[in-house]
Amino acid sequence: MLTQFEHFAITEMMGQPDSPPRANGTLCFGSDWERTSFGIALALAKEGYFEWDDFRNELITSIRAWEDEHPSDYSSWNYYEQFVTALESAVVKTNLLTASELREFFTLSDQTSQ
Amino acid sequence: MSERFKYRGDREAHSAARVRALEALLIKKGIITDRTVDTVLEFFETKMGPFNGAKIVARAWIDPAFKERLVADTSKAIAELDLPDGMAGAEGEHMRAVANTPGVHNLIICTLCSCYPWPVLGLPPYWYKDPTFRSRAAREPRAVLAEFGLPISEDVEVKVWDSSAQIRWFVVPERPAGTEGLSETDLEALVTPEAMMGVAVAKAA
Repeated sequence: MLTQFEHFAITEMMGQPDSPPRANGTLCFGSDWERTSFGIALALAKEGYFEWDDFRNELITSIRAWEDEHPSDYSSWNYYEQFVTALESAVVKTNLLTASELREFFTLSDQTSQ
Repeated sequence: MSERFKYRGDREAHSAARVRALEALLIKKGIITDRTVDTVLEFFETKMGPFNGAKIVARAWIDPAFKERLVADTSKAIAELDLPDGMAGAEGEHMRAVANTPGVHNLIICTLCSCYPWPVLGLPPYWYKDPTFRSRAAREPRAVLAEFGLPISEDVEVKVWDSSAQIRWFVVPERPAGTEGLSETDLEALVTPEAMMGVAVAKAA
């Protein structure tokens, strides 16, 4: 009967370069923004705004770019920073949002957090 | 405070602001709502995950007849419990439980692919799909278990169960000694995914 999209989407990532961090059988979020970014990406793919595989390609690209810039020191690694980069890229490429809207809202959001 | 911590704090704030901007814009455009993230993640947090396996194992510990039924016909026995529907779904329906005994220790692996009893164990750890783990666990399970901090005595038989598209195995670990007075809920907390994979045993808290 059901193969839930959520299940399919995560299973595809297991053992691949973009496997999300997990602990004790569950997804492991270090903070609320990590959880939110994951939920947004999954929800947009589930609703068909973009293909999960296309998003994952963005994610793998952004992970590889980070690794190329940090060839020996992984101490500053954060999976979800790459995840957010990939998500921003995916929403812009699929014309859901524009880069300038994102910049504008980021500035607002950054100011309110100061 | 050191520079390193300051840097870390800025990065956190920066990332948080990026995600707030994304979410706010998507909500403003009506693409998602403020409930979307919770709804999609609820699947992992309340429907499918190791907490289901923990409930199954805790019931088997307090009810030996249930444990027998669980090993004999896993899907049917799981259906007796009040668990989410997916347990008997596309993947759950092929699940089979194997019970540890004083003379037998069970270990589950998947040598071929990503088969994993997801609905009861949640997401696999990174090493589960590692080719080295898979091949060594099949070839020399005792050595691998010892490296996991679980040396198995020579008089205990080690059985390795290889999951496939047809059957996904999970282990019912033995109930730890000294837990006689615990409630079913307290027992659930002692069941870890590792114990249900057979790379650990359940321990009293």
